[in-house]
Amino acid sequence: MDKREFDAIWKGPVNRIGVSTLLLAVVLSFIPILYLYFVHGVIPDLNTALKAWGMIASMFGAMYIVEPISYFSTLGLSGTYMSFLSGNIGNCRLPAAAMALEVTETEPGTKEAEIVSTLGIAGSIIINIIGTTLCAFVGVAVINVLPELVVEGLKNYTAPAIFGAMFGQFAIKYPKLAVFGIGIPVLIRLIFPAAPAYYIIIPSVFGTIIIARLFYNKEKKATSE
Amino acid sequence: MSQGVSRIANSTGAWITASFIVMLVIVQAILYVKHAYKTAEKINMKKEVCNKALRVGMITSIGPVIAIFIIMVGLMAVIGGPMAWMRLSIIGAAPTELTAAQVGAEAAGVEFGGPDYDLYALSVSWWTMAINGVGWPLLVGLFASRLEILREKISGNDITWLGILTGAATLGVFGYLTSGDIVKGGGNLISVVVGAIVMVALGFAIDKYERLKVLKEYSLGIAMLFGVIIAMIYNL
Repeated sequence: MDKREFDAIWKGPVNRIGVSTLLLAVVLSFIPILYLYFVHGVIPDLNTALKAWGMIASMFGAMYIVEPISYFSTLGLSGTYMSFLSGNIGNCRLPAAAMALEVTETEPGTKEAEIVSTLGIAGSIIINIIGTTLCAFVGVAVINVLPELVVEGLKNYTAPAIFGAMFGQFAIKYPKLAVFGIGIPVLIRLIFPAAPAYYIIIPSVFGTIIIARLFYNKEKKATSE
Repeated sequence: MSQGVSRIANSTGAWITASFIVMLVIVQAILYVKHAYKTAEKINMKKEVCNKALRVGMITSIGPVIAIFIIMVGLMAVIGGPMAWMRLSIIGAAPTELTAAQVGAEAAGVEFGGPDYDLYALSVSWWTMAINGVGWPLLVGLFASRLEILREKISGNDITWLGILTGAATLGVFGYLTSGDIVKGGGNLISVVVGAIVMVALGFAIDKYERLKVLKEYSLGIAMLFGVIIAMIYNL
């Protein structure tokens, strides 16, 4: 089966599942507000609601667009649909997809890779939901028996350690690109300490992609000569 | 949060209303798993590979989910159990949700969690978390299929380039994600560096010694643990 036939059987359902679940999620997100209105009789008045919306959108609105575009090449189509519903992209979804490819020794960019990364991400979502649901029931009790030091350590350093590990894993594969992948955002942060996130994420991701293309073109030219 | 507000924020009704979206997340994951297995069969992929991919995804997430667990306990105290459960089961990390809850209180003209934080302010906090959280799924639901067409155009049918493109994008993403902690220095910088070194060292060791191969699916968890522990020791 070639890639085109594969796309025909794979992508249609991926889009259908993705679009329907994500749009349904938008609707279901507001159920708690309706609950407060119908059961307890409170609802934000229009002015307050719009004011709050404007304030929060001015902080995060750009990320609604920037993050899906920036993460898309890494997550793929089905991965994007899953990740932008369940969140925790950097610390759970991307590592799950990358490790699934790594352990099954699947070449990225192939049709098998689409399936493997989809399953990796789905597996991580299941664990994620089990974790939050367990926490809802026994969270407070568990935290009370853990030493403060452990709680603080896990809270503060889990994400950076995972980010570093993932970066390391890809840096070994593409050492030249890694210099730019890390160099661009660190430089931006040092030069413009107050830069909002999207001024950092866009140059990091697309700058590294452009540099990868330049290297790739050069190599292709060298081998064809 | 006053006792009355806290009681409503943690009421059975609130748990039920929060559960819909959590169930949707599970349903979506199951639908994709089914579709993946079905498609794998059609392209003659081994079922064992699929099982392994699913299992690795699970194992890899145990570490980060423990951290989410701890963060969620903190969030439960300030926005109530049901909302913390709902919000951390979907997009929007804890700091994002806290910011939204705070902005809601501000728009209502009260201090978040203060004595004036009444049921009305709670409703504005919930509204703000909801309207912010739907930004991502709404845009992705509407435009992701077009992103895929765009990616195909950019990559052509060159699988080698598509692989490099994915690698470059991933390096950019994790470069961005680590950069904040690198610049911050201290324990944050140490956990990034140790995580990276342990991951790379494990990769080399696993490639070299066949019997270490069983460690491969745990490598991220091991690297994470080292990163966290060494950063904690540094802080002592």
